[in-house]
Amino acid sequence: MIFKIGETFEEFFVISDEIYSGFIATFNDRNPLHTNQQFALANGFKDVVMHGNILNGFISYFIGEKLITKDVIIHSQEIQFKNPVFLNDTVVFNAEVNGVYESVNAIEFKFIFKNKLEKVIAKGKFQIGLLK
Amino acid sequence: MERIKILAEINDIFTDTLDNDDVIINEDTTANDVEEWDSLTHIQLVVAIEKKFKVRFTSSEIQSWANVGEMITCIQNKAV
Repeated sequence: MIFKIGETFEEFFVISDEIYSGFIATFNDRNPLHTNQQFALANGFKDVVMHGNILNGFISYFIGEKLITKDVIIHSQEIQFKNPVFLNDTVVFNAEVNGVYESVNAIEFKFIFKNKLEKVIAKGKFQIGLLK
Repeated sequence: MERIKILAEINDIFTDTLDNDDVIINEDTTANDVEEWDSLTHIQLVVAIEKKFKVRFTSSEIQSWANVGEMITCIQNKAV
C-alpha cells in the first residue's frame, strides 16, 4: 500500500481574485454575502465572504494532482466550515491518512484548513479509492 | 459475538450506507438481492464494516464471500 496511516501532507493556497471570480462565473452563486460588501458588513463580517466550496476545489486539486499517484477517485467528502475566509487570504491545508482499507483499495484522510492566524476555517475528511 | 448480533449491526450499516431504511438483510442475502448494492457502495459497506468491527479484510476474503452469512463468518473469525 502506497499510503500509510499517519502520513501527512501540507499545501498552501491563496484565494485569488481569479479563483473567486472564476467560481462565480462558473457556478453563478452571487449571494450578497459573497458579492455585496455592505451586506457582509451588516451581517458582522469584515468583508465579502469567499464561497466555502472554493475550499472543496482545493481538496479536489490536492487529490487529483498532488498525491503520489494519479490513479485515484474520490469516494466521499465531508467538510465543516468553522470560520470565514476572505479575498486574498492564504490558507494552509493539512491532511493526514486516517484509515487504510487495503481490501477495497480505499484510503481515508482527515483534513484541516487554517488561515495565517492559525484559526481553523474548515475541517473534515474524504475517502479516495485507488484505481490500480 | 453472536451471529444474530453481527447481522443486526450489519443491517444498520446497510440502511445507513444505502440510505434505505427498508433494507432488511439476512445471511442468504447477496448483492443481487439489494438494488443499491453496487460496486461503489460495496466499498463503502466494507469500509464501514471494517471500522465498526475493528477488523481488516483482505481482497481475497471479500471476493470469496458468496453472501452476507459468509461475511459474518469472516467477521466472527477476526473480531476479538
